[in-house]
Amino acid sequence: MASIVELAKRLCEVSEKSYLNPYTYITWQESMPKEQWFMSPELISIYGTSEYDKLDLKQKQILSFYESVNFFSLNIHGEKSLVEGIAHRLYSKELKDLAPYLHHFLDEENKHMIYFGGFCQRYAGKVYRNRKLEIPREYAKGEEDFLFFARILIFEELVDFYNIRMSTDETLEAITRQINLVHHLEEARHLVFGRQIVEYLFEKYSPSWSEKVRRNIQEYLAAYIVTTWKEYYNPDVYTDAGLPEPYDLVESAWNTESCRAHRKKVSAKIIEFLKERNMILEEPVL
Amino acid sequence: MKSEAEVKQTLRDWIIKAAGGKISQEQLQNDTPIIEERIITSLQIMDLILQLEKITGKPLDVEQLKPGVFRNIDSIYENFCGENGDEN
Ligand SMILES: [Fe+2]
Ligand SMILES: [Fe+2]
Repeated sequence: MASIVELAKRLCEVSEKSYLNPYTYITWQESMPKEQWFMSPELISIYGTSEYDKLDLKQKQILSFYESVNFFSLNIHGEKSLVEGIAHRLYSKELKDLAPYLHHFLDEENKHMIYFGGFCQRYAGKVYRNRKLEIPREYAKGEEDFLFFARILIFEELVDFYNIRMSTDETLEAITRQINLVHHLEEARHLVFGRQIVEYLFEKYSPSWSEKVRRNIQEYLAAYIVTTWKEYYNPDVYTDAGLPEPYDLVESAWNTESCRAHRKKVSAKIIEFLKERNMILEEPVL
Repeated sequence: MKSEAEVKQTLRDWIIKAAGGKISQEQLQNDTPIIEERIITSLQIMDLILQLEKITGKPLDVEQLKPGVFRNIDSIYENFCGENGDEN
């Protein structure tokens, strides 16, 4: 624990120094013309499919707008459950020494939702709905905390790949790029913290877990990576972009080889992290 | 819209495939508790929701879900596809 407390202290200093006012950080414009890129083309969920190739430039850009709204929306849903979970653990016995950093964590995630939600509500008039569901169950000692932080880490690692790419894509609409940039800068700290806390909780509790619990965790985390990816393929996006048979498109894009290769590439780092530590056993079927 | 038997068969096929060998066509009954017996995990429910939206042609509001609606094939049909399908 001592080393995480030390790390948290350093992260607190950086967070304090780079503290932002979310209400002045972005200058929102009235309207948002859709004849521009909002998502780097190669990050569009159906990029590489024959359905994508058939679209003209204008259709691709409109699709990129809704893809970006979906990306921001899935961030909001992830951050909502993150904030719930962090708030729940604030000043808990286990994590009380990390409370100062958890306050920053909460603050920063709340700001992210202000950016993401601000964009979605203003320019799309909505946040896409969530289809992820957790059914309550019993946990072994330390398992729930471990899984909570491991889920965050997986979710944030994938998102960060997109943020990094889009924060440097000069062809993107400016506000979109700015949101991706600020998110990446703050997430960099969350990721450093996330890796440490996940390791710490695993090392502390896994020796007490039965073989069955351990096996379940490994399967769960591999499946969680797959489910996290499924959120990137949203039929509502395809409907809004005017594409036919949106549910079939979810399936065909998911099964397109280049899309699979993209998912594997983006997930490689987090899969390696989890595998090296025996947190997952087999590669998830992406 | 498909008939009740067709919808239940579609659900059955989806469950068998999603379960990845955990249960066979013969073992899976309309009242087999698929979540409780861990045939389907909570992480797969997102896929199931997509399937149901495709079958019914209606969006499914996760925020309005009552507990137990995914218990078995019968309850899924009743809550989302049957006469009361609109109530969820
Ligand atoms: Fe965030
Ligand atoms: Fe974060």
